[in-house]
Amino acid sequence: MESPHQPTAAPATPDFWRSLDERALTPEFHERLVREFPFVATLAPSELDRRHFVKLMGASIALAGMTGCVRRSVDKIVPYVVAPETAIPGRPDYYATAMTVEGFARGIVVDSHEGRPTKIEGNPDHPESLGATDAITQAAILSLYDPDRSRGPRSKAGTGDWAAFESEWAKHQGALLTAQGEGLALLIEPTSSPSLRRELQRILEHFPKARWYQHTPLAAYETGGVQADYDFAQADVILTIGSDCLYRHPAALRYSRAFAGRRRVENGRVRMNRFYALESTPTVTGTLADFRLPASPARMRVVLNAIALAIAHNPPSAGDLSPAEMNFVRALADDLRQHAPAVVCIAGAEEDADIQRWALALNAHSGAGGKTVRFLASQRSDSDRASAGDLTALGGAMRRGEVTRLFILGSNPVYTAPADLDFAGLLSKIAFSVHHGSHADETAALCTWHLPESHWLETWGDLRAYDGTATILQPLIERLFDTRSSLEILRLLTAPPGTQAYDMVHETWQHESSGSDFDVHWSRWLNAGVVDGSAAPAIAGPAVDGSFPVLTPPTTEASPVLILQPDATILDGRWANNAWLQELPKPLTQLVWDNAALVSPAFASRLGIASGDLLALSVGLQTLDAAAWIMPGQADDCITLSLGYGRTAAGSVGTGRGFDAYRLRTTEALWRRSGLQVRKIGGRYALVTTQQHFSMEGRDLVRVVPPDALSVPPPVANPTLYPAWKSSGYAWGMSIDLSTCLGCNACIVACQAENNIAVVGKDQVARGRQMHWIRVDTYFEGDPANPRVVHQPVPCMQCENAPCELVCPVGATTHSSEGLNDMVYNRCVGTRYCSNNCPYKVRRFNFFDLRPSPDALSILQQNPNVTVRERGVMEKCTYCVQRINAARITAEKEDRPIRDGEIKTACQQACPAEAIVFGNLADPESKVSRRKREPTNYLLLEDLNTRPRTTYLAKVRHPAGGTAS
Amino acid sequence: MKPEIDPPRDHLDEALIAPGQTLESVTRTISDIPLKHPYPRFWWTGFLVAFALVMLLLTSIAWLFTRGIGIWGVNVPVAWGFAIVNFVWWIGIGHAGTFISAILLLLHQTWRTSINRFTEAMTLFAVACAGLFPILHLGRPQFFFWLLPYPDSMGLWPQFRSPLEWDVFAVGTYATVSVIFWYVGLLPDLATMRDRAVTRFKARIYGLFSLGWRGDARHWVHYQKLYILLAGLAAPLVVSVHTIVGLDFAIAILPGWHSTIFPPYFVAGAIFSGFSMVLTLIIPLRAIYKLQGLITARHLDLMAKVMMATGWIVIYGYLEEFFNAWRSGDIFERFVDVNRAIGPYAGYFWVLMACNVIAPQFLWSRRLRSNVVVLFVVALMVNVGMWIERFVIVVTSLHRDFLPSSWGMFHATFWDYATLAGSVGLFLALLFLFLRFLPAISMTEMRGFVAKKGTDS
Repeated sequence: MESPHQPTAAPATPDFWRSLDERALTPEFHERLVREFPFVATLAPSELDRRHFVKLMGASIALAGMTGCVRRSVDKIVPYVVAPETAIPGRPDYYATAMTVEGFARGIVVDSHEGRPTKIEGNPDHPESLGATDAITQAAILSLYDPDRSRGPRSKAGTGDWAAFESEWAKHQGALLTAQGEGLALLIEPTSSPSLRRELQRILEHFPKARWYQHTPLAAYETGGVQADYDFAQADVILTIGSDCLYRHPAALRYSRAFAGRRRVENGRVRMNRFYALESTPTVTGTLADFRLPASPARMRVVLNAIALAIAHNPPSAGDLSPAEMNFVRALADDLRQHAPAVVCIAGAEEDADIQRWALALNAHSGAGGKTVRFLASQRSDSDRASAGDLTALGGAMRRGEVTRLFILGSNPVYTAPADLDFAGLLSKIAFSVHHGSHADETAALCTWHLPESHWLETWGDLRAYDGTATILQPLIERLFDTRSSLEILRLLTAPPGTQAYDMVHETWQHESSGSDFDVHWSRWLNAGVVDGSAAPAIAGPAVDGSFPVLTPPTTEASPVLILQPDATILDGRWANNAWLQELPKPLTQLVWDNAALVSPAFASRLGIASGDLLALSVGLQTLDAAAWIMPGQADDCITLSLGYGRTAAGSVGTGRGFDAYRLRTTEALWRRSGLQVRKIGGRYALVTTQQHFSMEGRDLVRVVPPDALSVPPPVANPTLYPAWKSSGYAWGMSIDLSTCLGCNACIVACQAENNIAVVGKDQVARGRQMHWIRVDTYFEGDPANPRVVHQPVPCMQCENAPCELVCPVGATTHSSEGLNDMVYNRCVGTRYCSNNCPYKVRRFNFFDLRPSPDALSILQQNPNVTVRERGVMEKCTYCVQRINAARITAEKEDRPIRDGEIKTACQQACPAEAIVFGNLADPESKVSRRKREPTNYLLLEDLNTRPRTTYLAKVRHPAGGTAS
Repeated sequence: MKPEIDPPRDHLDEALIAPGQTLESVTRTISDIPLKHPYPRFWWTGFLVAFALVMLLLTSIAWLFTRGIGIWGVNVPVAWGFAIVNFVWWIGIGHAGTFISAILLLLHQTWRTSINRFTEAMTLFAVACAGLFPILHLGRPQFFFWLLPYPDSMGLWPQFRSPLEWDVFAVGTYATVSVIFWYVGLLPDLATMRDRAVTRFKARIYGLFSLGWRGDARHWVHYQKLYILLAGLAAPLVVSVHTIVGLDFAIAILPGWHSTIFPPYFVAGAIFSGFSMVLTLIIPLRAIYKLQGLITARHLDLMAKVMMATGWIVIYGYLEEFFNAWRSGDIFERFVDVNRAIGPYAGYFWVLMACNVIAPQFLWSRRLRSNVVVLFVVALMVNVGMWIERFVIVVTSLHRDFLPSSWGMFHATFWDYATLAGSVGLFLALLFLFLRFLPAISMTEMRGFVAKKGTDS
């Protein structure tokens, strides 16, 4: 052993060898080794001897132990629940931070496994989350691991790096300083971030002649620097005018929670509000209404004028209104008079300014101001006086040649600009343009430089919520790629490189807080995810005297109106590369992977249109071919198309899907365009939905009861020859309240994120192979022109007499002692008989190998506590059994039973309306047991005697056509 | 149609074999087919076409194992598709052989003699094709043996409440008994072949498989006993296999499947389809190999009648389904039947009605029945009809069940059709090999029949 192995000298006499080691060094031997044992040969590189190898191995193991597979941020972050020094492998940590929802903060708690953020939950301490999330928030985690994210700076000339950009910028910086920043323009999205606004201010001080423009393709939630905020808990009468405020609004989660509180049956009672919706195209919010009136933009104005008159006891003349409109106006006017001031009227942000004023006037007229409606200073920078204007203003400046150097941060104007602006043409003439964004998108392609943006889970920042509450954003993971945050880019404009976002945010808040013990505050803010006391105070509203503006209907043309709206899942296209959101069925249509031109059934029959027919839409100078979708409840004479599709550089997921509605948009008409010409062009387009049939076929599936008769026939004990299921200890069960379910689909994505559910793609959804474990069924009832809409979330029913268990030949699906219908993936051979015999069709089969490849970035998102299913195996909802088991372990360690509410299933946790309750049925006082005692409790397909553990509470809704009570 | 009276009995026997057939001529006619290989052009063309289809089947299976079940059109809600349809169809076809060999033997129906060997072979090949599908259709076919009750080291057993488990036993038993029955029946004939073989190699091979048969009287005694015992064993299997296959569906709570009529109706349907397949194959073969002397018009006539009888049991099954759906008042059951007739798959339903209900009724007429072209077309239609029947049962029941939200459609893919065509190819290829190497008609029994006729007259 003492003789060291010398790898250097070749043996002097190749015919003899002294040791095997030496022999191993001969090329012949090595060659033979490769031939015989190719695998071993690669393990034993000839220039490494054993000692070196052992040394290196030891060092690697030691280093591996130090880093693990963790990319932990080097900055200080403070955990929400568990301190980092107590971090135990296998136990997740939770960190509070916030994500941006149209520029506003939504407080979230991020679940992190060994340094990998895996799941986003709502932050219960945050006023705009209250613990809940919407579908986009749930899906946002996937975008962190988007493989199409930019990984480094790129100049138009070719490749580049940060040093190259910085040195190039240094040259411009010098020139700009002498010119006081003349010719420098910044384009960012309206933001609520105090640090970002402070930095913009700094830039304007540094370069007084620089200009700061703002652009978002979405509407602003303010007028003249004032935001209206509503209290749905106190409102007895609600009127929404084209507003989807419970689904897509910066305060939607808070509003939903409050609204649901007025729809939930508790102890056999409900304090129902009366909800009226007037809208052109069905929205999630509108279809929840007791009284919904579809009206084209022109009719909407007529109806609103009639309501204004009717409130003032001037009955509308029958000649102007249809019978349906007349009923709506009368009933609403009566209700508004009776229930004032407990009234909320909210107009959609996309509606015209005079309709917004009308809504404010109604609130003022009813005396709702200060009661159910309050006003706040605008939290977003839309009306910031330092800003030089919007994209149109920037376009004008560019056309006049006033812009020589342009920075575009986090915005994609080449794609989202109105068609008449020709922003792409203007941009390509700018000598020096920089795009900072997460993806090399349409705008990046035309800029001199593209700089990659850090994901908001990778960097520091701050944001304010709709109600003003501020949150410090903290990073959950070290940057995956060589990226920088927008704060750091802005600082780069005026300062030498190297400033970290952390310092900038820290500086801002040190500035904001006057107190002495800032570090204590800072820790607490990070811990709680909210800056305490930062909510905005109410201010005086805009001067509205309660007299209604008279709305002039547009000069009537026979041609229909084009309505543009943000997409239900991918908004303005920013989420286009998120596969979860693309495959999430859009509420009401259940379309996936596409948008479509929504037409009313009457319009479709007039033009002989079937769903999937290609239409040529032309308006003014713009034309677009788009596939039609017949939408029950769509107002006649208007066609709705959502933004966000038809992208050309979204990434591998989002590129080339659907139809680009921006091509029909002009600076003058962002949301409504009259004079639309519609022509069938004869082609067909495959529109894919997760649900093909929207009628209940007269079956007793969703029960609807009026608020004055809160009961359904009680469950009947069906006779059976088999003994009742004996459960020992816990008996898990779920209750889903159809009365409060919004149909927002947040539960679907929450389940997908929690349970490692695969995305299958459009062609596979077309074949009926989507994998979602919970689905939200939508049914239309009654007149297709204005149907009543009901939603029904359907997870596994966890039947006590489970039909699936009986027919499995290998016993791969069995019953647990706690009543769970367990799926044993390892045992499944894939006969699929269980799915055939499931009357609820909640089982999902792996028709292909849907597992991500082991080197895919998205594998970092996966929940380590949930098995990833292989090809040919059945899967389904487990009631989040991993969460049950985690709670069981905690409870057993603490020697106590699992507390009620300790386990929340992923769908339950996400639900903004608290429509889903899960718990122990063996405990008569658990929340779920109490809910199941409500008079509206019923079982789906009760006659089959499957005895489901998941039950429903009937939907409570005022009967259609009912008059004011 | 005017009622027809069967001809007198002696005339009947006469018709079961052409006049002038002797012990020697029977043996020569039958054994010449494998030994002298007449009509090689027909055989090679047919075999190569079938072989090409076998290659298609192998390609389909290779692609299936590479990519997964997703290459087929199955989905949720229609989680069973062509594989199960094909399985039930082939198993049904496989019923005629045992029915003819065993039950007709026990019932002393002498007319079975000239067709039993061929139909038994057909049964085996159909069961072989059928046996493929339950394994192919598994999501994880590599674990098919988990359905077998073997002493697993983890103490796991199959789940005996599942009808799919019963299937394993029913089909497994049926295949085993059929093989033994067929092989035992072949023994004396293999010895004849050995004796008549012109080359030493052939003689050796036939000799090997004839297990030393010398025609000893003791051989015959044992042989007759064993054969009748095996027939007794096989007879209940004719009923049991398709009863179990029927239960595969009837046990489910799915409307359209959940029906007590299924077991008898499936058994009748199986014999119906089996006889139609026998006719489909035998009509061209007897023409090509000039076997009209042994498989006479009388045989065809009798098989056509069995087909009609079982066809009517099937029709009764159809009526019963509709009647019970209506009488139960169950909205789901009623919907399934209405949906079958006017839903998206109504085309299939009406083709099924045309093939299985209308077409066999032409056979009431003796003139049409004795026309081999008509008989062939009707038999072919029934084959198609029975495949569609299983398609209608499997797919239309599944595609629209309880919750309208989960309704869907089944669209077959290229690989669905390729696997079906490939299984037909496998079946035909095996039949061609059988014709080439083994006596397609039992020489022993035919000689016995001729001899008996000689002593009778």
